Amino acid sequence: MSLFWRIFGLNAVVLGTATALLLWAPVTVSVPVVLTEAIILVGGLVVMLVANAALLRWGLAPLERLTKLMTTVDLLRPGQRLPVPAGGEVAELIRTFNAMLDRLEHERATSSARALLAQEAERRRIAQELHDEVGQSMTAILLALKRAADEAPPPLRDELQQAQEITRDSLDEVRRLVRRLRPGVLDDLGLISALTSLTSEFATHTGLRVVRRFDADLPPLEPETELVLYRVAQESLTNVARHADAKRVEVSLRRTDGAVELAIVDDGRGIRAAREGAGIRGMRERALLIGAALDIAPAPAAGTRVRLTAPVPRKQP
Amino acid sequence: MSDPTKIRILLADDHALVRRGVRLILDQEPDLEVVAEAGDGAEAIEMARAHDVDLAVLDIAMPRMTGLQAARELASLKPDLRILMLTMHDNEQYFFQALKAGASGYVLKSVADQDLVAACRAAMRDEPFLYPGAVTALIRNYLDRVRQGEETPDQILTPREEEVLKLVAEGHSSKEIAEILFISVKTVQRHRANLLHKLGLRDRLDLTRYAIRAGLIEP
Repeated sequence: MSLFWRIFGLNAVVLGTATALLLWAPVTVSVPVVLTEAIILVGGLVVMLVANAALLRWGLAPLERLTKLMTTVDLLRPGQRLPVPAGGEVAELIRTFNAMLDRLEHERATSSARALLAQEAERRRIAQELHDEVGQSMTAILLALKRAADEAPPPLRDELQQAQEITRDSLDEVRRLVRRLRPGVLDDLGLISALTSLTSEFATHTGLRVVRRFDADLPPLEPETELVLYRVAQESLTNVARHADAKRVEVSLRRTDGAVELAIVDDGRGIRAAREGAGIRGMRERALLIGAALDIAPAPAAGTRVRLTAPVPRKQP
Repeated sequence: MSDPTKIRILLADDHALVRRGVRLILDQEPDLEVVAEAGDGAEAIEMARAHDVDLAVLDIAMPRMTGLQAARELASLKPDLRILMLTMHDNEQYFFQALKAGASGYVLKSVADQDLVAACRAAMRDEPFLYPGAVTALIRNYLDRVRQGEETPDQILTPREEEVLKLVAEGHSSKEIAEILFISVKTVQRHRANLLHKLGLRDRLDLTRYAIRAGLIEP
């Protein structure tokens, strides 16, 4: 039934009832109006309005649900849809809206995937160039300076040694930059090594106790999946260090049925669910990239638990 | 023919300028001689087959075959060959993987001018050569485990060694520790070596075993 006929029908029911009452009920309306009659008429009007309002509200309820979803829908948490009622224009509207959400979510996922991949590729390229070109040339300079210093007369030697120290410091700086840009361990040695390195470095810098639990028989993962798992662990640990006021963090990587589950659990003061910062939104974007589910919730005892469940594609037989 | 008293070195690095620099530093020493050079891991293996070498100095990041892969191959091909990694990577994961692959030492390129020659000689004496960051990582991890009651030091450290241990764990360099304690850098390095010895981390295999037990690398 179309929206027009629905509203028209509801109004017709109310007006019809009122007319029927006027026709068959023993009521008359005097020409100079009598007080009791006026009260009855006004009462009747109120009843009619209330009935009309109630019926209209019921009739427009699907639209209201639609508006509510429209104002709250979050593309970073896909899968929010409205049930489609039996038929008519409203059903069509909701179906169209659901389809639009499908399209938007898809569009959002692909465009953020493009942006994230481009960003990672760019970082990788810069890191590689810093490592292979700048780093190597500076190593060569360092060695040349050392040789020159060994053979130079004393006053010149001091200066050359100073230059050596400056070169060394710059080389350390380049190395730090490369590390920050790109987890080289991940490419070279794999996810477990990268997470081990990440957690021990984190423990060193923050003084927190970090417990690692990594399953030994993890299925082989796509490079993008590994990178997302790594970045989510990295971001979660950063959050723990910044906000949680925790003593202990547990980082685990487990194999579950058809998926790999990364969990970061701290014993800090937990999250206030109010709003999600850029860091968590970034994690959600990355999770979408590989079709993984990200769940951030209070941990069983105290603190926060971040859990990322990444699907593992089944091997084709 | 090369001088039999000299340590014959194979040098592998994909960057020709670095190779040249390293070669000049090593050839300067009376007991060291670079007899072969390679631009990648696969070439390093060919060179090791073709030449008699005592020591291979390998970069980790190389095209065709990384230094780690080459180290693994070389270790099984020539068990007597000593292997030393020379790399930009300041990360204990690479260090432990290098040990696992059969390398006996690990030198950072940023301290190559100071440490490389000593590392070559240590490798020939069958001693592990650790870069400072690795020592810090090991000691920290060890202290963590002691605190958790997983293991206890079976030998009591001297008060001086304890001081050094604490400073190392806090991430101070040998030079800084020497300044704090008013002792020479050489003394600090001796204390560090003693510490590792007392913690039961004497050689390459000990270190690898320890790293596996502590979950720092996979078995």
